[in-house]
Amino acid sequence: MSTPHTHILPNTHLFLRLPSDLLKLIEIKPNTIIDVGKLGSFPSNLLLGRPYYFTFEILDKVNNEAYSRLRVVTPSELNAEVVTEDATPSESRGDPGTPVGEAYDLVGEDGTVIMKNNRLTIDDASRQALSQQEIEELKKSAGGKEIIQKILAGHAALDEKTVFAKAKYTLRKTKKYLKRFTVLPMDLGNLIDYVIVKEAPRIMELREEGLGLMMAWGHAHYSGTDGMEEKTAEQAVGGGRWLVVDDTGGLVVAALAERMDLLFKHERQQDNAAQGNGVTATLNGANGISHHQGDEPDAEKREQRTDDNQEVSDTPVKPTSHLDFPIPARTNTVTLLHPAVQPNVSLLKYFGYDTNQPDPLNPLHTHLKPLSWLQLLHPEDDVTYREPEREPDNVLRNWKSGKRGTYWKKRRRWERCKAIVDETRQGGFDGLVIASNMDPASVLPHTVPLVRGGGHIVIYCPAPEPLVNVMDLYSKERRTAYITHLSKGETPDPVDFPVDPRLLLAPTMQTSRVREWQVLPGRTHPMMTSRGGPEGYIFTARRVVPLEGGVQAKGNFGGRKRKAAEAAGMEGDQVAVVAGAEEG
Amino acid sequence: MAADEPLEAPSKRPSPFFHSTPLTGPDSLAILHLKRDSLLPLTLRTTADEGYAEGAVTNTRFGSFPHSTLLGTEWGTQIRASKVDTGSRGRKGKQHKEPPKDQGERSGPSNAASKDSDSSKKRKADESSQIDDVPTSPAKKLKQPPQQNEQPLVPKAAVEAGSGFCHILPPTPEAWTSSLDHRTQVVYTPDYSYILQRLRARPGSTIIEAGAGSGSFTHAAARAVFNGYPSSSSTSTQHSGKVYSYEYHEPRVATLRQELHDHGLDSIVHLTHRDVCNKGFALDASTPPPRADAIFLDLPAPWLALKHLTRSTPSAPLNPSGPTHLCTFSPCIEQVTATVSFLRKNHWTEISMCEVQHKRIDVRRDRVGLKEEGLRGVNASAASVEEAIQRLRDVESKLSVYHENRAAAEEGGQQKKIQSKAERLEKIKREAEGRKMYKEGNLVQRTEPEVRTHTSYLVFAVLPRVWGEEDERRCAEAWPVEEVMGGEAENEDGKKA
Repeated sequence: MSTPHTHILPNTHLFLRLPSDLLKLIEIKPNTIIDVGKLGSFPSNLLLGRPYYFTFEILDKVNNEAYSRLRVVTPSELNAEVVTEDATPSESRGDPGTPVGEAYDLVGEDGTVIMKNNRLTIDDASRQALSQQEIEELKKSAGGKEIIQKILAGHAALDEKTVFAKAKYTLRKTKKYLKRFTVLPMDLGNLIDYVIVKEAPRIMELREEGLGLMMAWGHAHYSGTDGMEEKTAEQAVGGGRWLVVDDTGGLVVAALAERMDLLFKHERQQDNAAQGNGVTATLNGANGISHHQGDEPDAEKREQRTDDNQEVSDTPVKPTSHLDFPIPARTNTVTLLHPAVQPNVSLLKYFGYDTNQPDPLNPLHTHLKPLSWLQLLHPEDDVTYREPEREPDNVLRNWKSGKRGTYWKKRRRWERCKAIVDETRQGGFDGLVIASNMDPASVLPHTVPLVRGGGHIVIYCPAPEPLVNVMDLYSKERRTAYITHLSKGETPDPVDFPVDPRLLLAPTMQTSRVREWQVLPGRTHPMMTSRGGPEGYIFTARRVVPLEGGVQAKGNFGGRKRKAAEAAGMEGDQVAVVAGAEEG
Repeated sequence: MAADEPLEAPSKRPSPFFHSTPLTGPDSLAILHLKRDSLLPLTLRTTADEGYAEGAVTNTRFGSFPHSTLLGTEWGTQIRASKVDTGSRGRKGKQHKEPPKDQGERSGPSNAASKDSDSSKKRKADESSQIDDVPTSPAKKLKQPPQQNEQPLVPKAAVEAGSGFCHILPPTPEAWTSSLDHRTQVVYTPDYSYILQRLRARPGSTIIEAGAGSGSFTHAAARAVFNGYPSSSSTSTQHSGKVYSYEYHEPRVATLRQELHDHGLDSIVHLTHRDVCNKGFALDASTPPPRADAIFLDLPAPWLALKHLTRSTPSAPLNPSGPTHLCTFSPCIEQVTATVSFLRKNHWTEISMCEVQHKRIDVRRDRVGLKEEGLRGVNASAASVEEAIQRLRDVESKLSVYHENRAAAEEGGQQKKIQSKAERLEKIKREAEGRKMYKEGNLVQRTEPEVRTHTSYLVFAVLPRVWGEEDERRCAEAWPVEEVMGGEAENEDGKKA
């Protein structure tokens, strides 16, 4: 159906959320063992085909089996542990000090509330009757629930604790001894949660709220125009093409790709739709995904493909698509500018896109178009961009197949590179999205002119300073000065004006942070602690086409007495753009 | 018009929100960017019956813009305001509209008519166009009926006014949101961008939105799920993204329905006039149920609507084969408590609550110093200890000069010149013209004066799919574990040990 995460498919990456709330990233393969550290290990086949967002409990080994089996913990069982007496606003009465109901009661598998049962209470003067040694013994012999029961029972002072403290204590012990995990799908939110704990700088500490803002202001969306009667012929402007500078290991590319319907393969969804039921679909999948391997490319197919420029963008897979250097798609694409020889999009491998193991079924195979800064700015200096020598057919025919293969491969690599570079240099992009360690002030002069009029500019920076600098480069004072220079026929000094300040409209800087809350009856408040780190700032603007000559602003100029020229120059309600001609 | 009654057939044109043509064209939605946060949506027309000699005209506080100057230009172009006779059109009326003066001269904006040098005339034109004709509701503006029965008139060529301009931009959900008037509380970009991210809304998803309100979230959600127009892709097996939008306020439904139609979104958004708390989400018999992957509830009592969103009934509007993500948007903590309490009792998991704290940053250059005295937007106090000392010495020396002068005057001697304050300010002003103000002073940032400190609390939750014993049995057959376990394969009584 419409979601790629209906159930767990073989050979996909996914997350296990452990009781510690940490995420464990695994790639699930059939007939293997998944080891979750001290929680235990179990066969991967016990997860395959099952739905996401389920919580499983690792059971004790039985019958001389080598590994544990799993039990689904139902949502009602999970939630029952946070018993919430009804607390609708109208019904919450009683003195405010008394919490409504007890929380975190331990519930047995049959749903009975165990904490009410004091059968196991041990009368002992010491606070915890069980020694560490005894607990260790218990861990070997008993299940998690039983241990917790006994620990709680062994706590002599439990009754003296307030309800809140008791709840906290129980929760802590629950987390420690229950062997549970939740299966979460590989999506951007979970991936961010995972990376930001482990190696936040790898994604430039970009949080989910920041990514959401970037994508909204970048206006990233699917742009296939299939079905609309007039399919505009080859156009240099628009076509759903976004230009990206990404130093987040491919996170920003992945987010753009997701919104452009390029991140997830369609075959899976169609499988499901055809089967109607996710479970039956996996029956076919038991032997692993049958990869469609492109045939050994040959010359005829090449000719055939060069003239289907009008490739409809949402059919990513052509049977003739090449494994190594496919001809890039023309619409609904992400063009990635990278500083090294190869782009770093390592995070995309979690979504099944790996440049080392190209998969022609992956939409990114044809819709992600990487090029280096050298190729953009000085293509003639780049080896790949230089056309390899063309050999006549009769020569080729006499070559050994291996040599011929290499020849065609070189030709294909060049063709792909040339297509990408030439198209990029032509510009007309719908948007420019930057999340880079490079100074944006050095990126913008080369990239802003490549964006079409009305296009979107978005820059992310963990720290405010680089963006403050960009705001200053596009300030209205600087723009006014720039236009004054132009109207006098002077060339503005590139030191003072590294960018053309007229090209961006309404430059805006913003930041957003999500604050998590705890919601419990009578105990609702913001979390006591959360992650710090850089705020993360976002710069947005629209690319505009300035009028040649000058335009005078209009609006409320404050005091009526002020001279018109001065008002227009400095204090216009509308950003003033003064022209010498008009003043003269 | 009944609110549930669909308008004419769904628009066949691509939505201007998803597809912007190389140039602006007639009958397409455009956004006039007047200044920051002052955006005006309008539909570009070739004709209009408002009585302007120039044809369709949009008047703003930054000048009048005949649509002839806006059409056929590159998007993002800066457009000069034109002189439009707004005062006399009422008198002329529709019947005796001025005959077109110069047909041949009808020109694009690039070679708009020559400037009028008569300054008095210019001022008059400026004054008249000062009339603030920004409509109170963008919807109202959009509903300007196109000319119907009149014989086609060739509009007068627009004449440039001396001042005023705007930029013409293709529409986006962000621009639409910031141009909305407050029919209801608007879900702004910082919130909806995060919500859609958390709801895992993707091209092809199905979203239920209840409490459509002004349609801000509706537009953003439509962009998120859009993966082609359903009418055309009926042959393909691909599921097309859809927003099922519900609103119980009938006039709002009518307005939003018209807007969605005008925006070419009516095949993406299925709008229903319904009180979902009482009536649920089921559509009429002819329409298949929504099968939602994500739900957004902007309602006063979300828990009342949630009781219709369970997996227990076969006609439930949820996608049966995948997880359903939920977000509720409530301003008060009591609503949150009740919602979360309901969710916990009804099989939802991954329940969490948060708020989005967003602010915009003002960047400016702070100029401090005595040399700024008398200039605007500065702090004209001493910038450093040295400057303060210098100022004190100056005062001191002026005083002594003053006394010397007094003494000299008595003796009839030569008087020394003392710089007056007016002279000093004049000098500063003169010097200021040569200074590069745009790179002087400290570059500083601060939060913008107005901050939305609280929009609403966001409750998120996930409802996993139903998983019965039959499902588990089939799955266990498809993925047998006996071999891996290495134990006796006959232990087949399910997974409960």
